[in-house]
Amino acid sequence: MRTRSGKSSRDVSRPYPRTGRRRPRARSLLGRSAPYLFIAPTGIVIAIVFGYPMVSVVWDSLHVPALMGETSFGIDNYTSVLADPLFRSALLNNLRLFTVVPVMTALAVVFAAVLYEKIVGSRFYRFVVFLPYVIAVPVVGIVFSYVWQKNGLLNQGLNEAGLSGITHDWLGDGRTAIWAVWFVILWQQLGFGVVLFLARLGSLDVGLIEAAQLDRAGWWRRLWHVVLPHLAGTIEFFVTLSLINMLSWVFNYVYVMTGGGPVRSTYVLELVIFNSAFQDNQMNLAAAVSVVVLLVAAVILTVQAALRRRVERMEGP
Amino acid sequence: MNELSHPATSPLSRRTALKLGSVPLLALMAQGGLSACSSSSAPAGDQNAAGELVVWYWGEQEAPGMKSFMDKTVASYNSAGIDPKGSVRQVLQESDTLYTAFRTAAKAKQGPDVQFFWGGTQALEDVWMGNVAPLDEYIPASVLDKIPVDSRRETYWNGKQWGLPFYEINTAFAYNKKMFAKAGLDPEKPPTTWDEFVSALTALKKSGVIPFGAGFKDAYLGGWLISYFGAQQFDGVDDALAPFRGDVQYTGDKYTGWLDRVKELIDKGLFNDDVLSLDLYQGQQLFQSGRAAITNSVQPQIVSFQRAMGEDTVGVMLSPSWGSGKLAKFFPGACQVLTLTSFSAKRKRGATFLEYLHKDDVMRAMYDASGAMAPDANFQASWLNSSIDTRMGELRKGLPSFWFQYYYPFPFERDGVTPAVQQLFQPHGSVAEGQKMMVAAIKKWQREQKAQVDAYKKWEVLA
Repeated sequence: MRTRSGKSSRDVSRPYPRTGRRRPRARSLLGRSAPYLFIAPTGIVIAIVFGYPMVSVVWDSLHVPALMGETSFGIDNYTSVLADPLFRSALLNNLRLFTVVPVMTALAVVFAAVLYEKIVGSRFYRFVVFLPYVIAVPVVGIVFSYVWQKNGLLNQGLNEAGLSGITHDWLGDGRTAIWAVWFVILWQQLGFGVVLFLARLGSLDVGLIEAAQLDRAGWWRRLWHVVLPHLAGTIEFFVTLSLINMLSWVFNYVYVMTGGGPVRSTYVLELVIFNSAFQDNQMNLAAAVSVVVLLVAAVILTVQAALRRRVERMEGP
Repeated sequence: MNELSHPATSPLSRRTALKLGSVPLLALMAQGGLSACSSSSAPAGDQNAAGELVVWYWGEQEAPGMKSFMDKTVASYNSAGIDPKGSVRQVLQESDTLYTAFRTAAKAKQGPDVQFFWGGTQALEDVWMGNVAPLDEYIPASVLDKIPVDSRRETYWNGKQWGLPFYEINTAFAYNKKMFAKAGLDPEKPPTTWDEFVSALTALKKSGVIPFGAGFKDAYLGGWLISYFGAQQFDGVDDALAPFRGDVQYTGDKYTGWLDRVKELIDKGLFNDDVLSLDLYQGQQLFQSGRAAITNSVQPQIVSFQRAMGEDTVGVMLSPSWGSGKLAKFFPGACQVLTLTSFSAKRKRGATFLEYLHKDDVMRAMYDASGAMAPDANFQASWLNSSIDTRMGELRKGLPSFWFQYYYPFPFERDGVTPAVQQLFQPHGSVAEGQKMMVAAIKKWQREQKAQVDAYKKWEVLA
């Protein structure tokens, strides 16, 4: 390419004086390989840290154990997994948990917008909203286990309030257990979204908000027409991250609160992997489920990338 | 033999423990565990190699005092110079890493020479993986013959003995004698048949207490219930294995009649109303806190209930009988075992140490230290120091010792039994649905674990 000075970028980047006939050729070879040499250390680390485990998991998933430590090669693990109603039920529960994402995102945006207004006590409210996020999931799970119990805190409170008609065995009923987990995830993860959006709003040009206020735009209009468009990229990031979390980061909640029960109503894919690997010692089967989870995550990322390209095309250059 | 061997499911079953295990733990154990293990990388064929003999054991968790016993026993063994080729080193394992650490070690073929397992299929799984060596070649028949057949049977497979029963751990129902009396029941004659049991629970309910305290949120209760009630139509262990070999369907009154009994208890409101909200131990606490009249537990815990609540308050009874098979009346007992590892070069020496653990004075020392009873004909009833233990010894007289959980593959419990029973507690739960779940669980296991299915087909029950 050419720079403004009219010299080629190659000339500009020349790091040494031209002193010999062989130098340009050597420089040319170095120039071509230099980028690869620079990224090689990182590439090697990535290959070891991410590449090897992924290849290893796929390889394991294609082996089936036989008696006395022997193995055979094939896709039996995948056919077993796909034929397993428990796997499908677990996948369905992961999809149910996906529904927490839009609710959480909407609430996080609203909370962030409210806190951005510098209302009285906003720093305290920020702390309160973010607090659940820093509590360890097992602690949250155990506490909410007591809250949701048939004779737990929530039902006791409802009884005291004269609302005994709506008391329920929230975790003991297969119809409500997954939604009890859903609520806990929302409660705990919301703070991360709020902080993320507040951070983005912190870099927003205040003049835009002030201009909207001068134009007598109400709070909701400012949120819709000024704040939201500027949060779009952050929302996209948060939604993608949260979806992947709902797919592969909810094990702790389920494990601590329900163990997958009652009647397998809260099984998630991670629990299927865990049970296969550490209870049944079926590492190969666990690897097959892991590959499926990986593929679902890849689909989410692909869709997200496609949507992003589409939005960028709509917005123009 | 001892008139009081106990069976049992460990209060902290392997499954409990494995649930606590995790990938990071595996990695940790690969380092920490291996550092504690034998340095032998055992050439095949050399089973009498010199060097330190490493024993990985467990038991402190369910038999407090086991560590003290092992420490003293190993010290005595080493100082007596019984093994001239080297000393023994004992390493207490944690529940959550007992299996994961061993399997990591086994994969590297560098680990303990003697390994502890929970009994039955929980030990045989590692046999089927090739991690364990048969005992028959190393332990004389005279030693094995002292061990009750019921106990040996749990780890006898393909014509060989793989596990040496180490100690028994029995299960039973603890009941509150004072609540029985208040409800108009004879506290010295707890129910023994199903009808008596239901009548007693009903009377207890009328007296204003929780008849049966239980917790099922953590899923372990299912394994206890099927072991208490699920084998009463069986005529022998082969009936227990048949559905898993693929010989019969797990259907009909013979296999699923126990679900009807459990449903009857649920429909009559004889459990606490928050069974699915509580974990197993929380359900047991209802008994200890004086709110429930009966609960199920392991023998050592019932002894501790008695010590806490008083001998005049706590009694012990076996699960009531409803079936008509030869196992309708049985003693719910099982054994934890010690094994020789397949990769050890010191198996002969390991066997010598295992024999030592069955010497009379050593067995008595184990009971005195931990309350754990060795399944051995030489174990004497006169050694017992608790009325619960004595009573359990009386109750087991003439009964076969059996614990169904030790004969079925664990996935059957997790994927079939547990949801089948849990759904009975749901508003529209049904026995038919439970039966479907258990049949489906067996099919799933047969589809996914073909190696284990093959193993079941080779499983000849020790007569």
